[in-house]
Amino acid sequence: MEIRENLLYTETHEWILKKDRVVRIGISDYAQDSLTDIVYVELPQIGQRFKKGEVIVTLESVKSVAEVYAPVSGEIIAVNEKLNDEPGLVNKMPYDDGWLVEMKLDDESELNLLMDAKQYEEMLNKSKDL
Amino acid sequence: MKTALYELHKELGATFTNFMGYEMPLKYTSVQEEHLNVRHRVGIFDVGHMGNIFVRGKDAMKFISKITVENAEKITEGKGQYTLLLNYDGDILDDEVFLHLKNEYLFIPNSGMHKKIAEWMKENAEGDVEIEDVSSDYSILAVQGPLCLDVLREIISFDIASLPLFGCYEIKNEMKIDFEGRCIISRTGYTGERGYELYIHPAEEAVQLFKKILEAGKKYGIMPVGLGARDTLRLEKGFMLACNEFEGGRNPIEAGLEWCIDWEHEFIGKDALIEFKKKEDYEKITFLECIEAGIPRKGDIVAKNEEIGIVTSGNFSPCLKKGIALAYIKTSHRNIGDEVYIEGRRKIKARIVKGPFVKKGEC
Repeated sequence: MEIRENLLYTETHEWILKKDRVVRIGISDYAQDSLTDIVYVELPQIGQRFKKGEVIVTLESVKSVAEVYAPVSGEIIAVNEKLNDEPGLVNKMPYDDGWLVEMKLDDESELNLLMDAKQYEEMLNKSKDL
Repeated sequence: MKTALYELHKELGATFTNFMGYEMPLKYTSVQEEHLNVRHRVGIFDVGHMGNIFVRGKDAMKFISKITVENAEKITEGKGQYTLLLNYDGDILDDEVFLHLKNEYLFIPNSGMHKKIAEWMKENAEGDVEIEDVSSDYSILAVQGPLCLDVLREIISFDIASLPLFGCYEIKNEMKIDFEGRCIISRTGYTGERGYELYIHPAEEAVQLFKKILEAGKKYGIMPVGLGARDTLRLEKGFMLACNEFEGGRNPIEAGLEWCIDWEHEFIGKDALIEFKKKEDYEKITFLECIEAGIPRKGDIVAKNEEIGIVTSGNFSPCLKKGIALAYIKTSHRNIGDEVYIEGRRKIKARIVKGPFVKKGEC
């Protein structure tokens, strides 16, 4: 299972890539694998505002439905339109072409609460032990 | 609980899911890939979570005719049958395959049902009938798909092609591999493709058999297949999943399984069904194909101006590339071609169609 180094992570398996005041958001390799084949992605509208913890994206797989939570508060400035035609990109390239949305951050300090790759890996290992 | 093959699934890289208390492989690679491989080539499944109950004794045939909707006289040795066990209200307790072996019958109850069914059988047994629940002692492997014969011929020398649909046979000295134990084969499955199921005792012996089938099947493109694809495969064919389609009490008429009933004999639940048939409007299983994007799910409401039914199984069809669902809809609203809405997380426009969703050879 790939955990990419330069990203931040949440306990609910979203990853966050920061560049300036904009973050790109996706789900981790672990999350896509547990969800199985994603066959439908419901993306938000550009301009929509979300508070940290609100549902920004819904992923439907052949197994179940999963919600993706806003890891930070802000405004949607881009969505990955490719997923409308090819939702399986989230499975194939969760960290690259399978990204979900981009948000403009309200408060950069919210990023301090997220995990780095090492912490995320530790969390996954712990949950596996259970 | 785990089946005897749990460690092997782990080695094969399975992602697991809990189904009816069993840790089962959900998928090894991708649900859709596994699904399509079964439709086009061949796949092997561990279905050891299903139960195994032997029924023996002089009065076994009479007993089976009473507790199932089948007249067991017709199921002679070497044959098998898909049938239903009803309660006295006519509701389906379980749908099961039973096989008529030499001097005994083998019933395959659904996962998590074997204890309940064995108890029900014992309660209703009369005369010389012996019921033995051996669910934890047996493994079941399913080899399914158009190339299943080619694969199994590498393992078994018995002419399995000669088995009719639901036919069964106990393999004796006809294994081409080292095999210590009992192996019963039947031409059955839950995928809608040609397929066979192997019932293995002791259960642990299935581990090496699974490996050898995978090895022998390599040149035919065999894949191990998890429960994810097992569910989408059966749904495309409109096969019932007991814990979904019979939940809360449904009888064979509601479930569209009246064809299973042999009305020319007495069986538990018959009187209630005769009474039920007088009803004009009731909910009946119905096939829904989505016209809009979205995946229907169990529990979604079916509506056409007003609520007309409820979804019991819904998913994405890997063959049709759209959402499909089984739903109970009032007979007064079940018109093929009608457009309805499936209302769950969102409203999805769907059409009532004639089942199955995917016909033989289509995909």
